[in-house]
Amino acid sequence: MIDLPFDPIRTAIPLFIVLVLLEIAAGKLGRAKVVYEGKDAWTSLLLGLGNTIQTALMLGVIATTMLWVYSHHIFEIRMTYWWAWVVLFFADDFIFYWVHRTSHERRIWWASHVNHHSSQHFNLTTALRQPLTQLVVGQWVPWLVLIWLGFPPAMIVIQNGVSLVYQFWIHTEAIKKMPRWFEAVMNTPSHHRVHHARNPRYLDANYAGILIIWDRLFGTYIAEREDDPCKYGIVKNLGGFNFLRVAFHEWMAIFQDIARSPRHAVGWLFGPPGWSPDGSRETSDIIKARWRARLAKTDRAEAA
Amino acid sequence: MDQAYIIQFAVSAVAIIVLASVAAWARIPRQVAPLDESSARAVIADELPDTPVERVWVDAVGQAAVAKSGSEAVVLFRVGDGFAVRQAPWSNLAKAHTRDGRLVIRFGDPAAPAARFQLAPGATSAPFSEIAA
Repeated sequence: MIDLPFDPIRTAIPLFIVLVLLEIAAGKLGRAKVVYEGKDAWTSLLLGLGNTIQTALMLGVIATTMLWVYSHHIFEIRMTYWWAWVVLFFADDFIFYWVHRTSHERRIWWASHVNHHSSQHFNLTTALRQPLTQLVVGQWVPWLVLIWLGFPPAMIVIQNGVSLVYQFWIHTEAIKKMPRWFEAVMNTPSHHRVHHARNPRYLDANYAGILIIWDRLFGTYIAEREDDPCKYGIVKNLGGFNFLRVAFHEWMAIFQDIARSPRHAVGWLFGPPGWSPDGSRETSDIIKARWRARLAKTDRAEAA
Repeated sequence: MDQAYIIQFAVSAVAIIVLASVAAWARIPRQVAPLDESSARAVIADELPDTPVERVWVDAVGQAAVAKSGSEAVVLFRVGDGFAVRQAPWSNLAKAHTRDGRLVIRFGDPAAPAARFQLAPGATSAPFSEIAA
């Protein structure tokens, strides 16, 4: 097994609890914009607990694979090398960006990741609203490259934990903006509100983990605007709080689609969310194109 | 399974119950008034801006609404302190059944299997039933 000298997530759990309580207190006392709905918060927290079960069930397979890949590593990198942590920080965040982006752009991975986005709220419990199937669909596999290069598995697990802990505090409406230099480089509540928003303008944007620079580099950065306040959730919001439906609805929909039209199975699985063979459904690109057309029409009408 | 994991899991479960209870106790949801025709139209315009709506029927408790848009029905219903909206062929409304004074409209969508439309006291069918049939 992988021996961790330090587990950032386990260490941070008490902090998560305290921060959720503080956020609720700030909302209750009217000190900040904080919105909580009881059933929604319960569902989010339950999904967080479910995610820990998934991790426990998949741990053996993942650890065994990591150790096998490490037995074939090409460079000797030790946990005691300070520069290795610097390189890993950037490499891990870069991989996170692409894995996260793929989670939004390909339906098989969206089916897992959608859980994290299905709340109509954006508060600290949303951060804990984690998918139940992201390990099953192999979203940990890209990190094996780093292990093959020579980073010890324990370093990868620790850095992954650091990234997850960082991303906790950015799930809030209570913090409006951070200092300008911080907003330029780091992922912040403002950037992440855009990522969770369902407004057409904000779809498929700000995939960053810790550093927002990847979105700026790869053209997926969109700034939050006061004239278009973020509305949270998914394009077609869920119709209830049934835990199993919340957790597996997109998987059920995929199976329905494949059963109805098996010859398009590849498209149903690997097409973008909203893809359909006859084009009768809406992908993010279509929604954005329609929104742009409406905007242009309004602009023309105002100019006339 | 090791004991440390079981302890961590149990503690997390207790923490979740406490946090969810505090969140419910705080009562800080969005303030959403019961639907009327204009608010239902506003929500639909926001959700489906390219869908023209002809008539709108709001249920007896302002928790759901049905709108007619050509051959399509737009169904809007409360979920917590928000809304979900689904479209279905208008002819589907004729197949909707009534249970405990509520009309259950099914969508065949795993993410939102059904909406419930509360009928007025004593009513046996929805106000749009004649058109739906």
